[in-house]
Amino acid sequence: MRTYELMYIIRPDLDEEALNGVVDKFDQLITNHGGEVINTNRWGKRRLAYEINDYREGFYILEHFKGNSATEIELERVLKLTDAVLRFLITRKL
Amino acid sequence: MRRERGRRPRKKVCSFCVEKVQDVDYKDVGKLRKFITDRGKILPRRISGNCAKHQREATIAIKRARNIALLPFTSD
Repeated sequence: MRTYELMYIIRPDLDEEALNGVVDKFDQLITNHGGEVINTNRWGKRRLAYEINDYREGFYILEHFKGNSATEIELERVLKLTDAVLRFLITRKL
Repeated sequence: MRRERGRRPRKKVCSFCVEKVQDVDYKDVGKLRKFITDRGKILPRRISGNCAKHQREATIAIKRARNIALLPFTSD
């Protein structure tokens, strides 16, 4: 199992409930695909360095998880087709 | 050799080596900002004074930070 770091930005106009829903969705996705969430850290609303899809700010979520490459590939696929996610970045931790 | 005109270049030290940084983190925006110009470009090694290894790592970190909108690609 490898340790990955995932950072993603969620649209700022979602309410608290929808935001929790999105975060939970990805937590479950990782668990369901042979992964294990180590910690989830919410940075909260932050100004973006540049506009993305006409948004000037976004909710930053930082998450560490363990998993294999299949977990990562599936996570990436779902992140890409989730509209609430503006950007994401997955890096491998050594 | 000292040139007639201009200041003698001061010996620069890599700030990452001084702090014994293991890997340069893309989330550390405050530190990475020191290595970009006010237009958002990455400073060359001859100005930043970084060693080759850390300059390479800093470049990757800055590019990652740009991707996730922590740092700008360009300003103004």
